[in-house]
Amino acid sequence: MAAPTALKRELLPLARILGGISHLKPRSLTVCSGHRKCSVTRSCLPLTPSTSFHTATFLSSSPSAITVTEEPDTLFQKLLVSVKSHDSAVLDSYEFFATMAAKELGITIGKVFEPPKDIKRMTLLKSVHIFKKHRVQYEMRTHYRCIELSHITGSTAKVYLEYIQRNLPEGVAMEVKKTAMEKVPDHILKPLWEDVPAEDKPGQ
Amino acid sequence: MASRTTKALLSLGRINIPALGLNNAVSRVTYATALSVNSSSSKKGAPERNGRGFGSRKPRREAEGPRTEKMPVDQDWTAVYPAATPFRPGSVPLPVRMGYPVKGGVPPEKKGNLELIKIPNFLHLTPAAIKKHCEALKPFCTEWPSALDTDAKCDEHFPIKVECTDYVSSGLSVRNPSARIVQLKVKLSVLNLDDHARKKMLKLVGERYCKDTDVLTITTDSCPLRQQNYDYAQYLLTVLYHESWKTEAWEAEKTVADMEEYSWEGSPSQKNIMDLLLRMNVAGEGEGEEVREQLLGRSEVQEYKDSVTRLKNEGDNEGSVLQYKEAVKKVFNL
Repeated sequence: MAAPTALKRELLPLARILGGISHLKPRSLTVCSGHRKCSVTRSCLPLTPSTSFHTATFLSSSPSAITVTEEPDTLFQKLLVSVKSHDSAVLDSYEFFATMAAKELGITIGKVFEPPKDIKRMTLLKSVHIFKKHRVQYEMRTHYRCIELSHITGSTAKVYLEYIQRNLPEGVAMEVKKTAMEKVPDHILKPLWEDVPAEDKPGQ
Repeated sequence: MASRTTKALLSLGRINIPALGLNNAVSRVTYATALSVNSSSSKKGAPERNGRGFGSRKPRREAEGPRTEKMPVDQDWTAVYPAATPFRPGSVPLPVRMGYPVKGGVPPEKKGNLELIKIPNFLHLTPAAIKKHCEALKPFCTEWPSALDTDAKCDEHFPIKVECTDYVSSGLSVRNPSARIVQLKVKLSVLNLDDHARKKMLKLVGERYCKDTDVLTITTDSCPLRQQNYDYAQYLLTVLYHESWKTEAWEAEKTVADMEEYSWEGSPSQKNIMDLLLRMNVAGEGEGEEVREQLLGRSEVQEYKDSVTRLKNEGDNEGSVLQYKEAVKKVFNL
């Protein structure tokens, strides 16, 4: 009898915390990479109630510290986010959401455009057997929307992409084309044959 | 007991997963009644059977109207729809109508409307909610270095571009094999190459080089992981660079057919014009090396050389053919 009451008491703070989790989402998810839906981490919750209470108490404390590492941030010259769906109204709303999110986070938006839709049509026989003259036609429409962002750092890109992908509606697929810029690596600055002229050249 | 609590936790956890549209009705029901089920099981476990006989202890609550009637105008909408949930007609105070209209009528109302539940809604992503989310996300973002405003500056300091693609879609598997492809693009003018090295590099690389933009593109997809493909692309670039600086013994056997550009010295065109001019001038001067050098030094011969080189390298376009015509006319003093 004691067990369910104890669990009930702790359910209430859990509900409050998870209710507030909508704006604390990214902090607990340091592991997931941008191109994966993090259903894996969430599925741990119902299986092990004790550990979920542990995370609940952890989240209710002050926000997790932001770690700053020494390694240099990647620089993305261009980030092309293209979404496709069967419904253009859903893409309209999603575009509004993505552009507003980019503006709020201070990301420069290059251009937002709509590539022409693809229609795949097929004409099939209506009946299972014979009746060749009677057919039925189906079509599948795929609408696209592209958002081009420029001059983003690696951390900002991770945050933005994760936020965008978590809120991707059902039935919408996304492709993100990232163009990272790098310096010429040190070992390509000079040919190494200059330093060692007496070395035997292989492949004679 | 444990199963009930786990179900409660499952329902609470499910609110935060946007794309799982499974068992929405079930989760709604469990969310609404989770706590009450728990409490009822703890308090009225035994007397449940007798409750109907003696009359229930708690007065039965009357069914109230939808929540929309009690919602204040200035409420916090982000608290009503904090995460992606299907449409609830009792929670959305909008007179929405959706569906094919009845004959001579209007589209059906929102109460009991399946069309509104089917499509994904963005009620949890109102501008206020987006602002709240972004405020919380701001600390994790870093600023772009202000010195790199234009693309030209970026290209100058960071000439190597690495392109890769991420894919997000729902299906049997989260992974997409095309995500492992890495494309490395670099301008050859940035690399430290001399003439021979550049020509050798172009021969080694073949089709991966674009002459118009002077960009070398290395696309790797032979390894199963993106990191491996990236390392392989860097390795290829390094090897190409160092190998092109080397001069092998067999490179001395380079024939005229292997040459990338046309060079006039030692070509049949030079021999022809020399013979022609010698035969034209045979009356005046004697034969010998000095005569050849003199002829070579003449400006018409230089012009002829330039026009022939341009014609062979660029091809037959108007400008080059006209230039050739002028040069030939000058040589023959027409």
